[in-house]
Amino acid sequence: MKRRLILRDALTFLSLTLITAILFAVTLFLFHTFATHRQELAQRWAARGQAAIASGHPDQAIVALRTALSHAPGERSYELLLAQALGDAGHTEEAYNYFLGLWETQPGDGFINLSLARLAAKKNDMQSAINYYRAAIYGTWEGDGIVRRRDLRLELSRYLIAHHDLSSARTELLVAGGNAPEDTGLALTLAHLLEQASAPRDALNFYEKVLAREPNNQQALEAAGRLEYGFGHFEEAHRLLERAKHEHDTSALNQAWSPDLQTMLDAAKQILSIEPSKKLPATDRVNRILRARDLARKRFDDCTARVSAANAASSPLQNLAARWPSKEATINRAALLNDTSEQDAVMKLVYDTETQTSQICGAPTGDDALLLMLAKSPKPVEP
Amino acid sequence: MDKHSAPSGTESKTRAAEDMIARIAPAREERIFLLLAIFIGVISGLLVVSFRMAIEWLSVLLLGSSPQPHQPRLIVIPALAGLIIALLTRFVFPNVRGSGINQTKAALYIHNGYISFRTVIGKFLLSALAIGSGHSLGPEDPSLQIGAGVASLISRRFGMSKEKLRIFAPIGAAAGLAAAFNAPISAILFVIEEVIGQWSAAVLGSIVLAAVSSVVVARSFWGAEPMFRIPAVTLRDSRELLAYAALGVAGGFAALLFAKSLSYLRPKLRSQPEWSQMLQPALAGLLVGGIGYFGLTQVMGAGYQAIDQAMHSQFAWRMLLVLALFKIVATTLSFSSGTPGGMFAPTLFIGAMLGAAVGSFEKIYFPHLTGSIGSYALVGMGVLFAAFLRAPLTSVFMVLEVSGNYSIVLPVILANTIAYVISRVTQPIPIFEELTHQDGLYLPSMEELREESNLRLEDALQPVTVPVLQGSETIADTIQSFAQYEDSRTASVVLIHCSNGLWYAARREELETLFSHSTAASSGQSPDATSTDQSTRTIEQALGSERTPILFPDLPLSSALPHFQRWPLLPITNRAMRGSLEGVVSLQDVLNRYQQQRGHSH
Repeated sequence: MKRRLILRDALTFLSLTLITAILFAVTLFLFHTFATHRQELAQRWAARGQAAIASGHPDQAIVALRTALSHAPGERSYELLLAQALGDAGHTEEAYNYFLGLWETQPGDGFINLSLARLAAKKNDMQSAINYYRAAIYGTWEGDGIVRRRDLRLELSRYLIAHHDLSSARTELLVAGGNAPEDTGLALTLAHLLEQASAPRDALNFYEKVLAREPNNQQALEAAGRLEYGFGHFEEAHRLLERAKHEHDTSALNQAWSPDLQTMLDAAKQILSIEPSKKLPATDRVNRILRARDLARKRFDDCTARVSAANAASSPLQNLAARWPSKEATINRAALLNDTSEQDAVMKLVYDTETQTSQICGAPTGDDALLLMLAKSPKPVEP
Repeated sequence: MDKHSAPSGTESKTRAAEDMIARIAPAREERIFLLLAIFIGVISGLLVVSFRMAIEWLSVLLLGSSPQPHQPRLIVIPALAGLIIALLTRFVFPNVRGSGINQTKAALYIHNGYISFRTVIGKFLLSALAIGSGHSLGPEDPSLQIGAGVASLISRRFGMSKEKLRIFAPIGAAAGLAAAFNAPISAILFVIEEVIGQWSAAVLGSIVLAAVSSVVVARSFWGAEPMFRIPAVTLRDSRELLAYAALGVAGGFAALLFAKSLSYLRPKLRSQPEWSQMLQPALAGLLVGGIGYFGLTQVMGAGYQAIDQAMHSQFAWRMLLVLALFKIVATTLSFSSGTPGGMFAPTLFIGAMLGAAVGSFEKIYFPHLTGSIGSYALVGMGVLFAAFLRAPLTSVFMVLEVSGNYSIVLPVILANTIAYVISRVTQPIPIFEELTHQDGLYLPSMEELREESNLRLEDALQPVTVPVLQGSETIADTIQSFAQYEDSRTASVVLIHCSNGLWYAARREELETLFSHSTAASSGQSPDATSTDQSTRTIEQALGSERTPILFPDLPLSSALPHFQRWPLLPITNRAMRGSLEGVVSLQDVLNRYQQQRGHSH
């Protein structure tokens, strides 16, 4: 009896095993069919979503991609597209949270970090934006990592410049420039951004690199000329701007020459015509010094008269007034020709006069203005 | 020979076989019990996978792959499906109404764990049709009943005893729910909290095995990803817990609204004439479809996709509140109409919307707080689960399991507790109990069962007022000692302290008999003892080796009951000091204590 009972149990278990196996096989078959159909539906809707994104209809893309995801839950590419569509449609918060969810599973993904950075920037969350930009730079990218990282550094620098963090922007640009290939377009971009990041000397370096490769690059000539002019290197500025103008005139492009550049070019030319450069013959140099002294004297007298009329008790030009009767103000041509140190002393008096009168009596005009520019240039009195 | 007076050969063989089966049955059942639990888990898992597939197939077939507002079929399909469901429920599957939880409990407590195969098939088909066609119901509770039905069927096939048949239903229920939720711990806890009502070592192992087996099967098809993914929650500012507490309060009142709506509408609809009840699922389908048609397609069906969207902050807070409100309306209509389907998914939906609404509100007005909207939605799900379904322990583990995220545990515990307390205060009878009462059934209240205070001996303990004698004294000395007690003439019981710290509770008559025998022996009237023996014999020797049982104050009060047939009074001793008396209890003391408790509970 006991044996029969055991046999009965064994048979029941056997039949149960068979039933389970058959049920498993049937479920597996149905599931396979079901999964295939769902995959087809998901792909169809995802394709619609992608097409909608491409055609600039992010709202339609959101619906399509949500449907795609309902048929293929957790499909990463669809999730990324949906997050992108949400961002494109202006649902910044939703897109941000969506990307954040994706970031949880792949915190080192370059694209997700970049998207989060852009969305954080949109939300005016500067610190998060910078953090995500940096994470994106050091994150993983498929295939084109080097180019992506460089582009990201440029994007981050633009963001930093826009938020007045110029020092960090300059650092990012110099790192990007350090690893950059010899590419004119890239060098021009870097130089332009460095200018915006208040790093004109670094910018000038990049323009010079461009000019070394392409001496007739008009954009580089103009920018470099402008920068040299700003540094007070009027001779170099004049040379570059002249070349730029020449390139412009010979260019097939029918663009107007910038009036600002023309003003700079004219001013540089004028400055060069009155500057008592040491490269000039001694007679010419002394002539220019004496002319400059006359101009400065006149400017001083005019300014003194205006200040005295306004404030009779005490004049802010007292120091200058004490220097004008001195030797350098009265020394004659012959004496100057033989004494270069006196030449420098006279020019120093001229520059000091132009500088101080501009502070008290306002900006000068004409040649006085040119003298003032020379006074402000890095080496107004050449050694 | 009279055939009634002497068994025939066949009868005696049958009886012998039955005797043998009866003899070996317990060991046999124990052996196959765990193995069957695994089979139940696997088959339940396969059926639940098929059930979910059926729902999604039907949903795509009936409502299209991307249901959008203003599609006429959103109204037509749920109404037609409602009509078919009503006809099939009336004529083919009469026991498939409701969610499945109360039906499983009824099977367990009323029908000895019996669930018919027809009910399982009916539940599978009609619930899939209802949910797939857009009725606002969920697949988890039907999965629970399908699992319990599978268990019932298999255990019957094996000819298990009645006692074991009853145990199998919760095992299958756990397997079904675990596969549906992809969450074995929550399923086990829910079955313990809501179906069995108490922890029982006898079934725990089998429940765990069945639940794990079913989840393994389900994951082999659907994958092991948690149902919902949210970023880790970092509580940088503990003030954020206030927001979660506010969510707990909101959830408590939302659960009240949901429960009240069901408590009001369901009996109203059930009291309508028979022909009208046949139309109710169709009408409910029409109204739920109408909600979808006019813009809120999210409330149709189980709504998991909308929950995911809410977690990823794709709705504004006002929209979230509207969705929560209309989900309450839609689920009340669908469920009250008698359409088969579960309450879990709608509860989670409402909770998620409410939580996401609180989270979105916080993001706008308190942007410095760090919690993500997903975390609020997740906590909201737990909150409604605790407050509406009244399963506080399951609610906490459910949130942790469906998200796979432990970092959220603190807000979940806080919010769930608040919601649960509010729900208990505002709605003393849990919704499942209310629904069984509406059906005319009185199943055990799991909440009461959980919280029933177990009386202990210390609750009936009385000070020692009876005479206490030393067992080491001779009988003659004992007579003298006893005589010194003021109440020696009236005391009906005497306690005798024996060696080894044991006690003997002697009745007065017993003692008097002992004393008279001793006196007779010492005066030479008794033939069976010498006078010298009697003078040196101690009373504990005279009482023999039997002693009152050793009882301690922390033992259950019921543990004293079996001993009152033999002993008139039971000494209660200290666990730390052997033989040291804490007090005594009599049968009357025990009965009085039980009656007091009953008086309090009423």
